[in-house]
Amino acid sequence: MDPKPPFDEEKIVARAQQGDRQALAQLVIEYRSRIYHLGLRLTGNEQDAEDILQEAFLIMVKKIHQFKGDSSFYTWLYRIAVNIGLRKLKSKPRKYQHISLDDPDMEHISTAETAEWPDFDYSQISQKPFRKKLDQLIEKLPDIYRTVFILRDLHEISTEDTSKILQITPSNTKIRLMRARNFLKEELEKIIAKEGLT
Amino acid sequence: MKNDPELYKKICEYLGCDLDSEPCQQIKEFLTECPGCRVYVDKLKKTVNVYKTADNCDEIPAKVCTELFVSLNLDDQIGSDPKNDR
Repeated sequence: MDPKPPFDEEKIVARAQQGDRQALAQLVIEYRSRIYHLGLRLTGNEQDAEDILQEAFLIMVKKIHQFKGDSSFYTWLYRIAVNIGLRKLKSKPRKYQHISLDDPDMEHISTAETAEWPDFDYSQISQKPFRKKLDQLIEKLPDIYRTVFILRDLHEISTEDTSKILQITPSNTKIRLMRARNFLKEELEKIIAKEGLT
Repeated sequence: MKNDPELYKKICEYLGCDLDSEPCQQIKEFLTECPGCRVYVDKLKKTVNVYKTADNCDEIPAKVCTELFVSLNLDDQIGSDPKNDR
């Protein structure tokens, strides 16, 4: 079997801009999984994730000739998908009430954080009941925090590119990420205290 | 020094960076003197890892991939899709 050819994004994007269908298909194959996961975590719903996926790539195909290369291609594509996702969320009633996120109380941390968590059995995480709890926690995060957490921590996008995708400052990205991580940690801690890890 | 709130705020700010980045590594050294802070960072890391692991469990369904090609009028390219390897 032939090894997978290297993915030269710049050349493939240039070909796609000329209407090369094979290049367009390569871009779809390269990014569809990430865009689907983004939609799934953002909305918590498979149907919405599929809608976001289709709409984002339809826009990509339609507007790729407008892509100027000022940012990386994936930043451009993610921005399209995030905007579709956020718009979708706004149009639906929220499952959870808005919560207010505070900065972690650092004075408190120095004295109160004494009980360590046990080492996780990560193989247990794939089991549905625990996954459901994780999904419920992330859905409680306000959209602006959840989006940053997904991009930075799950998709491992840099602070700079996350800021470009969301059109916010890098400081704002960092603050939102810190609050999101802290919230999820606090909520996970409650579950661990109540029910253990699995 | 351990109870300097400004210092802790700075640590907190850095926690918005990649946890494995160089500034965070430096903070890590400081954290060895603050057991509570070390536990806190460990929990943050585990929280992120739990979510990363969970996220990797979801595969995009093959049917969704096929429908995507069709909706984009790229059905003639389905043959080049590794997901379509049957």
